[in-house]
Amino acid sequence: MARLRRPSTKYSLGGLLSVGILLGVLFWGGFNTVLEATNTETFCISCHEMEQNVYMEYKETIHYNNRTGVRATCPDCHVPKDWTHKMIRKVQASREVWGKLTGTIDTREKFEAKRLTLARSEWARMKASDSRECRNCHSFESMKPEMQKQRARKQHEMAIEDKMTCIDCHKGIAHHKPEGMTEEDEE
Amino acid sequence: MKKTMIAGAVGAILAFGAGSALAAAPADWSKVAAKDITLFYPGVSPLEWIQKGTEHGGARALKKGETCADCHDEEAADMGKKMASGQKIEPSPIAGKAAFIPVKVQAAHDGANLYLRFSWKQPAASGAAKMDDKNPVKIAFMLESGGKVELADQAGCWATCHQDSRTMPGAADTKTKYVKGASLAEGKFYDLYQWRSGEKKGFDGHVAESRVMEGGTALVSAEGKQDGDTWTVVFTRKFAGGQGDVALEAGKTYNFGFAIHDDSAAGRFHHVSLGYKLGIDAQADVTAAKQ
Repeated sequence: MARLRRPSTKYSLGGLLSVGILLGVLFWGGFNTVLEATNTETFCISCHEMEQNVYMEYKETIHYNNRTGVRATCPDCHVPKDWTHKMIRKVQASREVWGKLTGTIDTREKFEAKRLTLARSEWARMKASDSRECRNCHSFESMKPEMQKQRARKQHEMAIEDKMTCIDCHKGIAHHKPEGMTEEDEE
Repeated sequence: MKKTMIAGAVGAILAFGAGSALAAAPADWSKVAAKDITLFYPGVSPLEWIQKGTEHGGARALKKGETCADCHDEEAADMGKKMASGQKIEPSPIAGKAAFIPVKVQAAHDGANLYLRFSWKQPAASGAAKMDDKNPVKIAFMLESGGKVELADQAGCWATCHQDSRTMPGAADTKTKYVKGASLAEGKFYDLYQWRSGEKKGFDGHVAESRVMEGGTALVSAEGKQDGDTWTVVFTRKFAGGQGDVALEAGKTYNFGFAIHDDSAAGRFHHVSLGYKLGIDAQADVTAAKQ
């Protein structure tokens, strides 16, 4: 310990700084590279739990295939874009690693049994952030109600009036709705 | 005295004569404004379903007081396609069943009678087994006054349509349409009229605790005909009526919905309209103006 505190007599300050900066860049770069690698659809569906359940459902939806060729992949909706919220989410997600190791949803049955709980926790996260990830692409300001169908137009007018957030209504937009949802889930 | 009596009798005859001369359907319906309403196949979407947020995204809107037509009026045909094909809320789709029927609705009155005329093109037959072998086609309309029945102002005929009504999955054959908190005395009912093509007969009933097809005294006549592939049915009903009839008044609007049992259908396998308003000399979706 004492050595760590003692000024160096052997290395120049410049050398130490250069090595420090280099290591810092390597560490930071490496950290971010790994972090970003976990932020891809490929990473998400490298687990069969995701690939065989939610991914299959998502592939049938408009967020996967659409007229304009824009795709929202798993992290676009499930991982915040800005650094702070992303880090918080990533730390929370480390619990999912434990789930993977212990096999909490490693069969279709186990997944179905747990999906309402899992969905509710994600809905709560989205609700708490005012559907931040949805709003990375969608906003009321850029919405043109007159181009929408009557039903959508009406619903969005009401949503603006009541200061609602996307996830209040758009549950199950990219995955099947879980069995056993209650009226409270829709409020 | 005698003179007075004669004069009275002459007066009465004249008045009666004048009255009956007035009581006539429009001579030329082509001069009466027509409202286009698309009837659609409703699948299994009873009153309970439309209020269930986990099933029907519009349940929230309904709670807020919006009407079904506010959101769905323009997409009735598309909804019909989804349900007739079994893509949505239809556990037993009938192959070839028409998804929707565009209908022209015209209304007029003469101060004493309301005339309602419906015309539509006969859709292609599905070829499925006949549910009502007596009547290839039936058309019915319902009226409700004052929104006394819960959701009548918003949901039209849905206020009478329940998940336990006959032909709904798992429902008893004996249970008909009904309204919640029904009371003929308090006006909590739907006035119901129907014309059947096979029996060539009009019915004047109502929906309260249950649906009855008779007992009303307002219906004067119901006449229908098929001209080529076009059906035309004209109902004539008196403004006044008895128990189970909604009394009509100029200047007022009424909740109004109608349905066609096409292709020898019965029960829920009909095509229905959303809830609309019928006005007697009053601005509404369908307005009956004095002729």
